Amino acid sequence: MTTELLTFLAMIGVFLLGCFLCKLPVSISMVLSAIAGALVGGKGFPLRHLVEGMFAYVDTILVIVTAMIFMKVIQESGALDAISSVIIERFHKMPALMLCLIMVIIMFPGMITGSSTASVLSAGSIMAPVLMLMGVPMLETASILAMGGILGMIAPPTNIPAMIIGAGIDIPYSGFGLPLTLMTFPLAFLFVLMFGYKYVKNMNYEEVRGKLRTESRKKYGFRIYTPLILAIVLMVINKAVPAIPDIGMPLVFLISAAVGCFTGNRFNVAKMAKDSVNSVLPVMGILMGVGMFIQIMTLTGVRGLIVNSCLSLPNVARYIAMAVSMPLFGAVSSFGSASVLGVPFLLSFLAKKEIIVAGALSLIASLGDMMPPTALAGIFAAQVVGMPKYTPVLKKCLLPCLIVILWGIFFIVFANQLQFLILG
Amino acid sequence: MKEKKHLLTACLCLAASIAVCCITGANFLKARELPMPQNGPGVTEVKMLSDWFSGLKGTHADTPVYVLRGAEPGGTMLILGGTHGNEPSGYMSAFTFIENAVVDKGTVYVIPYTNRSGMTHNDPGEGNMQYFTLQTQSGPRTFRFGSRATNPIDQWPDPDVYVHYPSGQKLSGSETRNINRAYPGRPDGNLTEKAAYGVAELIRTENIGLTFDLHEASPEYPVINATVAHQDAMPIASEGCISLLLNGIEMSLEQSPTNFHGLTHRELGDYTDTMAILMETANASQGRLRGATSQRQVMGGQDKCYELSERLGMLYVPWTVNGILGHPIEERCGRHLQGIKEYSTAYSNANPDKPIVYRGVPGYAELFLNADPTYLGGSILGSYLK
Repeated sequence: MTTELLTFLAMIGVFLLGCFLCKLPVSISMVLSAIAGALVGGKGFPLRHLVEGMFAYVDTILVIVTAMIFMKVIQESGALDAISSVIIERFHKMPALMLCLIMVIIMFPGMITGSSTASVLSAGSIMAPVLMLMGVPMLETASILAMGGILGMIAPPTNIPAMIIGAGIDIPYSGFGLPLTLMTFPLAFLFVLMFGYKYVKNMNYEEVRGKLRTESRKKYGFRIYTPLILAIVLMVINKAVPAIPDIGMPLVFLISAAVGCFTGNRFNVAKMAKDSVNSVLPVMGILMGVGMFIQIMTLTGVRGLIVNSCLSLPNVARYIAMAVSMPLFGAVSSFGSASVLGVPFLLSFLAKKEIIVAGALSLIASLGDMMPPTALAGIFAAQVVGMPKYTPVLKKCLLPCLIVILWGIFFIVFANQLQFLILG
Repeated sequence: MKEKKHLLTACLCLAASIAVCCITGANFLKARELPMPQNGPGVTEVKMLSDWFSGLKGTHADTPVYVLRGAEPGGTMLILGGTHGNEPSGYMSAFTFIENAVVDKGTVYVIPYTNRSGMTHNDPGEGNMQYFTLQTQSGPRTFRFGSRATNPIDQWPDPDVYVHYPSGQKLSGSETRNINRAYPGRPDGNLTEKAAYGVAELIRTENIGLTFDLHEASPEYPVINATVAHQDAMPIASEGCISLLLNGIEMSLEQSPTNFHGLTHRELGDYTDTMAILMETANASQGRLRGATSQRQVMGGQDKCYELSERLGMLYVPWTVNGILGHPIEERCGRHLQGIKEYSTAYSNANPDKPIVYRGVPGYAELFLNADPTYLGGSILGSYLK
């Protein structure tokens, strides 16, 4: 395994050199690291592999860019101000309940689409101003958004990592509903209260009311909400009626954004679209770089080395390896972690009830969306609240992430005792 | 001045991007030219799947169907190779059958690339090889290594969740392009469902009595070196399995689960009158535990990472068979071809009015047991190809 180890070290070394010594963008460092890996691994200059690897993230990139355009439209048209003011006016007397309700709203797009990015950039961007108006600081708001996005992605009815892990051993996606509900909602309520309750419980409503911007609501009435309602309808409709084709998240966001251009304040559409694409360009670049990186890792056998090393540990250490390696590998994407490590770990725990184990593994894999350099949930949460860097969000979310891991391990350890949760 | 410099950098980047697009674009386009089997002594006709379902005409899912009609009437049998393009023993067994078989009784239909579109690309992130070369009777011949799923150029985008028709079963969105989750298919569905429907139509129209779907799985997958049969095919599969065991081939037999939908052994058995049987062999180039991509891995079936995995107790197959390390292509094709032989014999025994009798196809002994181990890994198989 010497060549694989050398290749791995070369890839990591070149990546760190590129990022920290040469101050290159993360995406470029990943490309260079992939090329170095291929050269050391004896695969020459792998042009075809670099391009092919990039294509692994085309769908994700399209979701990100269209979700960002949708978010900007909601902002510019005045819909964001309108919905923030309505929620605060209606629910300010019940702060704990309001926080839990906000968390469910943040999670909702993730529950429907299986994407934390969709959650953070759509419902997250709508709820962020509400939380901040109520006095929740920027950092805590971003942390709520990030954890809400991650837990929304895992909560039923749509959990793509669990589907990927299940498909690895041919178990259909059924019976996951209740276990996933128990794995996600208690944590979601715990985290939102942990981050927000102390700020919201003593909220001075009169002061907050003065800051609410209600002009767009008064001027445009109900039509201001049309793009939001349309987005929800388009996301849900084919899940409720499977005969209707799924048009895909990018089209859902684009159609809703196009409608939003005519339902509120007027704005320069071309400038808005350009700003949106500019703001997500670095993340799109990172995803392409990650695609190349993982392709070369697989090509050169580094992936096999990592997976075998994780599985070679004795029983107790295997739980630790799982807790560390799945979120870490998720740095290349939580779906990738579910596929590459989730399936082998599920196989290594086959004596346990597999639906509970697959659900718990998907919960742990989801933390990959908080892991740099991709850290999709963390990056977009910071971007939505207007923070220049996302590292404070990651630090703030360390404790919740640890709780998520422990909660996941609890479900795996007691999977057989918890099998009564599997209905249908 | 600074602006000029930026413009120059931008132009250089754009030119480099265009060059990369042209070079790799040509490479990806070339992958659509698929090597086809040479007609063997038993081939009487080569048709297209669209002859049974016209909805496939002109699409990349339309695929050749080799017909081997026997001198005497008898039963009908269908062999599906290339359901998954990253499982080479499936389509290489089909190639070997087409190029060698002489049918005496009955008719055999062989589809070398069941999901033809899946053969025209590779799975992003998997670092697979595009081609492998074998020394054959006519010299070196190059074969494609494809993907598990339909090419996204032909069917895109995937939904978030794939809902199987007609069961309503939910799977990850990427399974939408997996033909072995699309059966029985539908004429107005997506391209993969249409291809599955075409196969089902062929079975219904030609009254196919026995259908084989040839697969491979990663060595860490629990259903491996195994046969999975629809409940209606279990009596035949049981008899055939005993014959395989008596021939020294380790083979487990499982009945198709009733709650897992879209697969040949479930849906073709339920929606047509055929006896549906699926076989799995061990493919070292397929799993998550595998090492570096190489021809030694794909054809030789050898892999350092899997040697380690075996020591960790992670595998569901022995990593050394008859003193041979790994699972060379000859062992994998030999299992498939011997399986077809034994199960079709059992079918003929159970249906004496509809026998299927053929000869000339190498089996497990010729390809693997009696072969010189130094030539395993492609050369022995190649010697049976034209």
